[in-house]
Amino acid sequence: MRIFSKERPEIPIVHHLKADGTEWTIKEKLWLGLSIGEYKKQFFRNPVNWLMMGIFALGVPLLLQRYIYGLGAVTHASNDYPWGLFLGFGLFGMVPLSASGFMLGTTVELFGRKDFHPIERLALLNGLLGYFFAVLFLEVDLGMPWRLPYPMFVSLGPAAVLFLVAWHVATYLSVQVAEVLPAFFEWIGWLKGKRVIRKMVLGLTIAGIILSTLHQGALGALFTYAPAKVHPLWLSVNFQWIHFFCSSIFAGLSMIIISSTLIRYFMAWRCDDEFKDSLDYITIGLAKGCSYSMITYLIIKIVAVAHDQEWSYLLTGWGSYYMLELGVAVVIPMFMFAIGIRHRYVGLIRFAALIAALGIIWNRLNTALICYNWQLYQEIPHWKEVWITITIYSLYFLTYRFIVYRLPIVYGWKGEK
Amino acid sequence: MQARKRIMQTALAIAIGGVLIAPAQIWSMDAEDAPESVTIDSLVNLYTGVEFDHAMHVDYASCQECHHHTTGGEVVNPNCARCHSTSGEADEVTCTGCHATDRFNETYIRTLEAPELYHIDKPGLKGAYHLNCISCHETTSGPTGCQDCHTMTDAGEKMFYTGKYSPAKGHSAPGH
Amino acid sequence: MKKTVSRRNFLKGGLAGTAAVAVIQNKEAHAAQSFEGYPEGMGVLVDLTRCIGCRSCEAACNKEQELPEPAKPFDDYSVFDEIKHGQKRRTDETAYTVVNRYDVPNLDHPLFRKIQCNHCQEPACLTSCFVNAYTKTPEGAVIYNSKVCVGCRTCMIACPFYIPTFKYSSAFDPRIMKCVFCYDTRLKDGKPPACVEACPQEALTFGRRNDLINMGRQRIRETPGKYVEHIYGEKEVGGTAWMYISSVPFDQVGFDTHVPKEPILNSVKDFLAIVPMVLTIWPGLFVGFHLLATRKEKIKEQEKEDKEGQV
Ligand code: SF4
Ligand code: SF4
Ligand code: SF4
Repeated sequence: MRIFSKERPEIPIVHHLKADGTEWTIKEKLWLGLSIGEYKKQFFRNPVNWLMMGIFALGVPLLLQRYIYGLGAVTHASNDYPWGLFLGFGLFGMVPLSASGFMLGTTVELFGRKDFHPIERLALLNGLLGYFFAVLFLEVDLGMPWRLPYPMFVSLGPAAVLFLVAWHVATYLSVQVAEVLPAFFEWIGWLKGKRVIRKMVLGLTIAGIILSTLHQGALGALFTYAPAKVHPLWLSVNFQWIHFFCSSIFAGLSMIIISSTLIRYFMAWRCDDEFKDSLDYITIGLAKGCSYSMITYLIIKIVAVAHDQEWSYLLTGWGSYYMLELGVAVVIPMFMFAIGIRHRYVGLIRFAALIAALGIIWNRLNTALICYNWQLYQEIPHWKEVWITITIYSLYFLTYRFIVYRLPIVYGWKGEK
Repeated sequence: MQARKRIMQTALAIAIGGVLIAPAQIWSMDAEDAPESVTIDSLVNLYTGVEFDHAMHVDYASCQECHHHTTGGEVVNPNCARCHSTSGEADEVTCTGCHATDRFNETYIRTLEAPELYHIDKPGLKGAYHLNCISCHETTSGPTGCQDCHTMTDAGEKMFYTGKYSPAKGHSAPGH
Repeated sequence: MKKTVSRRNFLKGGLAGTAAVAVIQNKEAHAAQSFEGYPEGMGVLVDLTRCIGCRSCEAACNKEQELPEPAKPFDDYSVFDEIKHGQKRRTDETAYTVVNRYDVPNLDHPLFRKIQCNHCQEPACLTSCFVNAYTKTPEGAVIYNSKVCVGCRTCMIACPFYIPTFKYSSAFDPRIMKCVFCYDTRLKDGKPPACVEACPQEALTFGRRNDLINMGRQRIRETPGKYVEHIYGEKEVGGTAWMYISSVPFDQVGFDTHVPKEPILNSVKDFLAIVPMVLTIWPGLFVGFHLLATRKEKIKEQEKEDKEGQV
């Protein structure tokens, strides 16, 4: 893409009008203003696309196998381990990493921190896609995926935590669609739609906070159904929902640091100057949020251990593993954030964000899989399960990139029609 | 071995196939008052009936060991003795007299609700004789396996997937 | 003027955004309520001292529930030696109940334990299911409706006894497979389940749950030294319809003695309780934050407008 953006001044598209004054059609916008030949050329030049094709070449047949022969054919999901990677990573991991949407929505729209505005849309998109793909992961994992709407319309089990998750994720998804729509409306040039949404923005943001608090917490609360199965160090009946909610704050912020970094360096042609210039400043701001929520998280984790009188567990092998997790996934990145903020080492912050994000996935996998059934045996996911997970994640990556390539997410749309 | 098995085939207490014991008018019953053998066939749909050689078992155990306090001898079980130490011989001595053949039907279960009832935990007929026989056979090395006493019928083999209904070799249950 | 407009817009947006939440809020009101179980329900008292491991109950269950042919005949006792992942046999999509053998140290004979759904008074499977696929019937059975099940398998996570199983082998017609107390074929007509009827030893005593507790206590009381003084299931997870008595401590015969004494739902209540709180407090709180955070801007805007007005 870079080559074209150097040669052709009208590319990348940031305006409804071409250099000659005629309008871009939607189709042209979809092709990024390139001819099909050019598009192909840039597509095949990119090694990432080859990697993706490799993943899909095997992943798609495996998915077919899952839908024809059942979950048993591709996963190690069993009667002892009903949930595997699809939920352990796809739902419990993706959702906290997608908390960015409501975090930045709140910061910018509610707290009036306009200085974070350049990254707001990216955060919203990151949230929307994360949730959407979490639902997709769910659709791979559900025994009867065609009954996805049942908890909403057909048979309601309102006393269940998962009922709350289902409703909240569904409503929140629509809230997020509404929040991302303005970018889409700008791009297709339908300003009326944008104005309508603009008016609802505060309400949407507040709905977002409520729904996020509840379903991030609810994902944690799901494990309180298994008080005798999850290792006590990873399960605190009283605090589980706060743990999950609180860790989702730095998870979402870290994720947005990572994705903005990737976009800044691999999609620089798409970013406008405002985004590029303010990114370091914004990153430091996000890092502050991360470090505050991490210290809070650390404290409530310790409070939970104290409250449940679990000190003796810390001396066991599980205890060492627990402290390893807290150390590597929380304490180390927390200090890295702190140092990074103090000395303005943006690179260090970005590295810390990567550790923190992986750390959250690690924590969720620990809770859902590794320390689940700690008294029975440990289950290792089937390689096909791993591959399908990677496939869906790649699809997430591609969709993410597809949208950032086109919609005004990291650049401002020039000229309203 | 074969002979022993024959004898054992007639093991197991309790008559459903009906055995009438005329209540003897003496204070305590004698072995002579007992039937020679008892046919036990409550499981007859899955297992063939059993001819219980009562006369032989009399040599192995005292009456009370199977008949609790009903035969009028000395009551050994302290729980029975609380009420029955002097109650003498009962009108009904057969197993069926006290142990219900249909232990779990609704009407029977309802009778257990009577608040002053002591015998809330009387095993049904099938339970009573299996509990009695097997626990004793375990200590006296009598037969304890199901088919040591009664052979399985075709219906039984079918339900147990055994004999000619055995699962094909190499076949294994589906699922992870 | 401008100010009122923006406030109205805000309210509109706020309503649209939270309308859905309000709908749910109503329903969640139920969430905190608990379900007490039916006192008149039936149950089964399992006496481990009586069970001889004959597997008749397994065979009867297989027949009654029309489950697939087993891998080995039901009179094949080598299954007691089967170990998978270090675990003894468990229920699966082909068996609603299984019997396992336990060699207890210092005991000259093995003990056997039959497992199946315990038909909890406040079933975790029921309370965790988000489509209400489970029902606790007044007769005491916990039954399942495969017509609405989505296959999320939360019930399997929630069941403290590892009972519900999933038909992983099927892509088009999967379902949860679990003991239903023979509800449709027997229990609802007042008959005992097939396993109880098949058990030669009356190791399984069917009856009203309340009566069974008295029976269990009587057995323990009147044969001193024979049983440990505990009815497993009387209190565990809020009480179960199937209960056990044993001659050795329960953890030696495969029971999880660490399951909570209270219904599983109680450990979830903490979270359910905050739901209405968040729904009602958050909006006000964050609007407040918003007004505080943006007050300076508003004042500036106001000043600007005032100035423009003067010019
Ligand atoms: S034992 Fe498990 S499956 Fe059965 S009722 Fe209780 S929670 Fe549900
Ligand atoms: S698997 Fe089915 S029955 Fe179990 S919780 Fe999910 S929807 Fe309910
Ligand atoms: S039928 Fe009765 S004695 Fe036989 S294994 Fe089952 S519970 Fe035990």
